[in-house]
Amino acid sequence: MITDGHHAAGPALDGELNKALTFRTVHEPTAGPKWQSLFEYHWPAYRPWYLTEGERERPSYLECYNALRHHMPELLGTYNTLCELAGGGDLSSRLLSLYRPPPYITGCSQAVLASPQSTVLARNYDYPPELCEGTILYTRWNQRQVIAMSDCLWGVLDGMNDAGLAVSLAFGGRKVVGEGFGAPIILRYILEFCATVPEAAAVLKRVPTHMAYNITVADAAGRYVTAMIAPDRPASIKRVAVATNHQKKIEWYAHALASETLIRERQLSILVDDDATTDERLIAAFSAPPLFRHDYRRGLGTVYTSVYRPNEGKTEFRWPGKVLSLGFDSFPEEQFTVHYASRGLYG
Amino acid sequence: MNKITSIADVRRHFRNNKEPIYFISATNFNLLGIGDWVGAFRHINYIDCFEGKQRNVFVPKQKFPRDFESIEDINNYLLEHKEVIDFIQSRADGENAGVASFLMFDEHTEEICKQLGLRVAFPPAELRTRMDNKIETVRIGNKAGVPSVPNVLAKVGSYQELVEASQELGTDLVVQTAFGDSGHTTFFIANEEDYYKHAEEIEAEPEVKIMKRINCRGSAIEACATRCGTVVGPLMTELVGFKTLTPYKGGWCGNEMFAGAFSQEVRDLAREYTFKFGEALREEGYRGYFELDFLIDMDTNDVYLGELNPRVTGASSLTNVAAFAHSDIPLFLFHLLEFSEVDFDLDIDDINERWAHPESVDSWSQLVIKHTDESVDLLTQAPQTGVWRMHEGGDISYDHYSYHPHAAENENEAFFLRISGAGDFRYEGADLGILITRGRLMDDDFQLNDRAKAWIDGIRQQYTGQALQDPVVEEVAVSHAIGGGNFKIL
Repeated sequence: MITDGHHAAGPALDGELNKALTFRTVHEPTAGPKWQSLFEYHWPAYRPWYLTEGERERPSYLECYNALRHHMPELLGTYNTLCELAGGGDLSSRLLSLYRPPPYITGCSQAVLASPQSTVLARNYDYPPELCEGTILYTRWNQRQVIAMSDCLWGVLDGMNDAGLAVSLAFGGRKVVGEGFGAPIILRYILEFCATVPEAAAVLKRVPTHMAYNITVADAAGRYVTAMIAPDRPASIKRVAVATNHQKKIEWYAHALASETLIRERQLSILVDDDATTDERLIAAFSAPPLFRHDYRRGLGTVYTSVYRPNEGKTEFRWPGKVLSLGFDSFPEEQFTVHYASRGLYG
Repeated sequence: MNKITSIADVRRHFRNNKEPIYFISATNFNLLGIGDWVGAFRHINYIDCFEGKQRNVFVPKQKFPRDFESIEDINNYLLEHKEVIDFIQSRADGENAGVASFLMFDEHTEEICKQLGLRVAFPPAELRTRMDNKIETVRIGNKAGVPSVPNVLAKVGSYQELVEASQELGTDLVVQTAFGDSGHTTFFIANEEDYYKHAEEIEAEPEVKIMKRINCRGSAIEACATRCGTVVGPLMTELVGFKTLTPYKGGWCGNEMFAGAFSQEVRDLAREYTFKFGEALREEGYRGYFELDFLIDMDTNDVYLGELNPRVTGASSLTNVAAFAHSDIPLFLFHLLEFSEVDFDLDIDDINERWAHPESVDSWSQLVIKHTDESVDLLTQAPQTGVWRMHEGGDISYDHYSYHPHAAENENEAFFLRISGAGDFRYEGADLGILITRGRLMDDDFQLNDRAKAWIDGIRQQYTGQALQDPVVEEVAVSHAIGGGNFKIL
């Protein structure tokens, strides 16, 4: 979500935008030195972000701890372990709770294609590449195996667990900020402790969010919902297979126009409603406009496409010219750099 | 432990104490040296006056410049800080994290303590707030037979209303609001012009205390209301409003404690009033440490109740170091005993009689040194905490490190507690440090003596600051100084 200072960014000689992001897969069932080094790598960038509005604007450690204890008590053990690995400091522990972090926004499109035989959740993550962590984590922190694209050090942008549940988040296109958690930690909580869509829906209904998000959840039994969550109104959880960056009607026109949220939603709705749409057709659509976006200059370009197949325990991360296939049984550690330019993307 | 029946029992009880006991505050100034008496005692502070040298002072390492609004605010910040919570939990015995004491706390502090398993060794904040109300103090005093300076309590909406309400008091008046720090909410009004300077603050109050202005000396006395009776400390003088120490007119800036501070008659009366007031407080449900200010009319020798501070105060640092405190126990230990779960039966009359004896009161004084100029700069150098020595000619030098005022052996030595250090902003009203020494610092006319002036100059010279030329930096500095860090050491 934020500048970590390590990724090359900036205009190329001819004025052409040329950004790069290094992706890495990290396999560490029990949180330990690998997670610790990720923390140390990203912390210098997260710290100033967390302090953007002043330290006093962020809740105290005790408030953060109490919020976690109240809303996601099962997550406390993992939280304590990670705080410890992060050095046990006050500020890092407050950030790691993701309780009332500074506001932030994203783009994103996501869609589910479910049939009795298989479920596919696919999504594009549209965001400034230099602000993305690029870490795909395999963990087994609380019994369940989880593969997830990481954000805010242990939060989840999208991911899947071995109980057959897949989740993905998209910004809800509203400016409202309130008491609650950053969505990535709610997604982490779901993957750690939920097995089905109804269980995930109960969490989304119950746990407060600090901004508006559209969370799509799908499970191996073919169930799916999209939850429109926000700090100022009860969650709307419906059997909707598609989500982009608005909640019901458009409220933030500038963001909606810049992110082309309506166009993307329309495209995805047509696709998922068409009986002829296969998994391949849906996934292919994410590689082309209007879903695939080149707007890197304004921070709304597609950083990656992810595809989750919860029945098979397999996932793919895709870039034009590159596919990374991962599964609970096969998760090799590797690292590669993706270059983003306004006229294309080169793996 | 069986029932405590002697002072020796109390000493042994606290020496052997294993349950963590904390004093949580901006600094440890108010209870300097109490750790010598109490096992497992720790200070949890925001400012490290000792630069890490003092083992029983815990200061979180990771701190950010903050705009604290009050000492309560600092304490709540500390108690919600992860390093502090980890520290408290590391010393806890299961659910019991021990006992917390404060200079100031509020309802939120109580909630946090409850969650952390800390027992607050003070009456509830709500009761303390009620007792702290200057109007309420007058009422309790009247009920207990402790007179206040002739006064009326009234709502004032204009100068005319003030004059009408205070007809019987004459024209030279002192107006106080219900709550407030020394020097901030006491207004001297002799004419309409004086009134308009403070009209806004006076008229905002639902009721103010209007007193006849008398030619008086301020004094302070500390006591502790226990189930066996009220233990009363010695009557101290107050240093008030010296321009070399504080920018606040009428602001407290130190104390002196010596046997002959006032006439025997006045001392006896003040002690008697304090005992009566303590007993009245117990009837109100209040117990434990408190301090009374008495105003002593220099023309008539009348002793009037000034105000009540239902807490440990800035004078506690002297009350708890004097000879009587060491021949028996410091007053604060009576407070801890009252809030312990131990049964005790002590002869309080006997103790009070001993403490009233002139030989029990050796002479100590303290100066609270603030920055008095309007300037703002960044400190690059500050004198260390410890014992300082004054040489012939009045210049001073650092002698050795100590955490205890007793380390200053004679009047040529003083214990200095550094509050503002290198890297802190020096602004008008900022506490630079506190100097505690044996002997007196005022003359019989209640003016600073030459030794006091030499110490003040000497300490000030140890500070150097860097001027903030950049107007933007200066603005930041000023807002930091005015909005934050500007808590006072009480």
